[in-house]
Amino acid sequence: MLSLSPKKLPSADLAPAQLEQGVSPWRDAWHRLKRNKLAVFGGVTLIVLVLACGVGPFFSPYGYEQTNLDNTFAKPNLSHWMGTDQLGRDLFTRLLYGGRISITVGLVATFVALTIGVSYGAVAGFFGGKLDAFMMRVVDILYALPFTIFVIMLMVFFGRNIYLLFVAIGAVEWLTMARIVRGQIMSLKKMEYVEAARSLGFGTQRIIFRHMIPNILGPVIVYTTLTIPGVMMLEAFLSFLGLGVQAPMSSWGVLIKDGAEKMEEYPWLLIFPGTVFSLTLFSLNFLGDGLRDALDVRSAKD
Amino acid sequence: MNTRTFGILFVCAALAGLPSGCAKKETAPAATLAKILRFGNGAEPQDIDPHAVTGVSEGKIINALFEGLVAEDPSGIGIAPGVAERWTISDDGLVYTFHLRADAQWSNGLPLTASDFVHSYQRMLTPSLASEYAYKLYPLTGAEAYNKGASTDFSQVGVKALGDHTLKLTLKNRTPYLLQDLKHYAWFPVPVDVIGKFGGLARKGSAWTRPGNFVGNGPFILKEWLPNQRLVVTRSPTYWDHATVKLDEIDFMPVEDGDTEERMFRSGQLDKTESLPLEKIAVYKRNYPMMYREDPFYGVYFYRINVTKPPFNDVRVRRALAMCIDREAIVSDILHGGQKPAWNFTPPTPEFESSARIPYDVAEAQHLLAEAGYPEGKNFPHVELLYNTSASHRIIAEAIQQMWKTSLGIDITLLNQEWKVYLDSQNTGNYQLARAGWIGDYPDPNTFLDLWTTGGGNNQTGWSNATYDDLLRSAASATNDTERATDYQQMEQIVADELPVIPIYFYTHVYALNPKVKGWVPQLIDNRAWKWIDLAE
Repeated sequence: MLSLSPKKLPSADLAPAQLEQGVSPWRDAWHRLKRNKLAVFGGVTLIVLVLACGVGPFFSPYGYEQTNLDNTFAKPNLSHWMGTDQLGRDLFTRLLYGGRISITVGLVATFVALTIGVSYGAVAGFFGGKLDAFMMRVVDILYALPFTIFVIMLMVFFGRNIYLLFVAIGAVEWLTMARIVRGQIMSLKKMEYVEAARSLGFGTQRIIFRHMIPNILGPVIVYTTLTIPGVMMLEAFLSFLGLGVQAPMSSWGVLIKDGAEKMEEYPWLLIFPGTVFSLTLFSLNFLGDGLRDALDVRSAKD
Repeated sequence: MNTRTFGILFVCAALAGLPSGCAKKETAPAATLAKILRFGNGAEPQDIDPHAVTGVSEGKIINALFEGLVAEDPSGIGIAPGVAERWTISDDGLVYTFHLRADAQWSNGLPLTASDFVHSYQRMLTPSLASEYAYKLYPLTGAEAYNKGASTDFSQVGVKALGDHTLKLTLKNRTPYLLQDLKHYAWFPVPVDVIGKFGGLARKGSAWTRPGNFVGNGPFILKEWLPNQRLVVTRSPTYWDHATVKLDEIDFMPVEDGDTEERMFRSGQLDKTESLPLEKIAVYKRNYPMMYREDPFYGVYFYRINVTKPPFNDVRVRRALAMCIDREAIVSDILHGGQKPAWNFTPPTPEFESSARIPYDVAEAQHLLAEAGYPEGKNFPHVELLYNTSASHRIIAEAIQQMWKTSLGIDITLLNQEWKVYLDSQNTGNYQLARAGWIGDYPDPNTFLDLWTTGGGNNQTGWSNATYDDLLRSAASATNDTERATDYQQMEQIVADELPVIPIYFYTHVYALNPKVKGWVPQLIDNRAWKWIDLAE
């Protein structure tokens, strides 16, 4: 991660009459992001999905739990755009409600994982030595703990609760993040700019969070975009065990699992949730790629 | 085969089946190949000790490993000789004398004698063993008192060994269905000496049921038991009728998930499924009619209510819930397998049809709920409906949850548990509402109605009604069938009024069966003597 190429000098000669305007790194990144078509597509798709799941259900004439036993397994039609399921519930409505759960779980759990993982990994990597050894052994131990048993223990202590699910998943997902960040920080801490910051008298906290973490955003963002879909699927698995969302509420993972069981006879039950889920996943990846490029301070500036 | 038998079940969904299949036929000439039946058996068995279990999947295995005094015949209706080669019944119907065959023996080579039955029944009735099925032996004189600890003198119980090969059973009342009931595993002999070596007689779950330790007297012996994978039994050389046994081996595969089971069947890993996923029924009817089976079944699917805790200690609440379930819709729009809506508890048979009927009346249900203090469901406490993990139970629960919500305004949550945990929750009363099923042990309403006696091992609702208990006793001592039927009608009416349980539908047995399995006849009570089952092209 050494950046060998000197930064281009602000070209004063291109705008002789004006003082060079300082451009913040964030603004810079935003410009680069806007020029990446795939990233824009991903971002827009995500926003549309979030809006649809957020406000869409208010416009639906059906409830996610509203059964109609006279109209089970209806094919997609004008009144049920995505058909109905085994109990005659409108799949489109359930998909929107399910999206609320899945997107929330994905974002919240990933945010929890991100916060814990980055701070923990950065501290371990920066200080090194015995503290690092101790902190990473703790991570190893938590890794070894079977996830399902861990979640069941949490449920036993705190009861079944959807918010707890967010925390439980987040509390497990941070481990890999901590390892990635620690490795990155270790390779960065001998860099000149860190020494420069230190010689200027900045505190450890400022050096880690202001100077080093922005330099490792690339791998962190990539890993984050992979975590979100992973978390969504994990939620489906826990729901099947009776630990996640409870019927009749749905989530994308639950809809996909149910749909897969019935795909031979009633393919729309799998196609629609599967498509929406894949779309979300692609969008996240495109956006993540774009963000990584945009935020990479070493990439060419123009 | 059999006609009666076992019972109990709380079981899951399903139905049973058997399969067969010859695993190796493709690779070798059929005549030389082992006949191995791979049988989808639903839940992993709790145990294979006949005194420690209540489930249908356990019963299937126990029927292969043990044999009672009488056995199922190939038609599934009659009674064939088992350990007893013949028997006589006294004119008043109170004394049964069984003549045991001299060549009956245990799989360890020891002879099976009349005193083995006496000791087995003593163990079954030992209060500290707490066998759920102990009440099945109550037709014997003195059995109830001994089981409840009122008497400690087993010689007062109506079972006597008159020599090595003669067993006398003395009954409290004329019990017309006794011979049918003897086919149930509660009446089977167990190897008391062996059990005594592994932790004592009054202990459930000791090591005597492990392969190597296990001793039985049935057509098959235990070869291998890998929990959650398979339980394998092979032909027993010591069985008195081993020449009749056709299969070489039965692999009981515990597959709780209906979709997994159906996939295994299609890929040839199972010869019979325990059930079929609801959404696959139409496919099988259309594409594989040769393999689709829809048999009548003497069973009822219901919700058990814990009546000891609010809000269900109020009969008005129970009635309100029971009155707004649209059973016709559940049967015709969700199940599709020929089931019948259950407006009363005991399934109808040509001999007995209940006149009790739980009305479907939403307005009255709302009225009752309001009277109980929850107008339009306001302030209704948080209620959980427990079911054992299975997609079809969940879908029915979701439908009923929604019916209660729209008609009564109450919200319940759904909770699923794995089979053993689920059984335990009910046993210990740690539930509010729980899905359950009951398959008759013998073709008589008594097998359903004796569930709800005060303190009965399979009651588990906390419900108790003295009139009901009296009627059951009166039915048992009735001297003719009309009188018994009258008592049963009254009991049915009490259940329909008091509702310790909410009946939902009467089962049919829907499953997939490999056409190679021979001798698998439809049975109202799915208890089979495995020796009649064969595999052939």
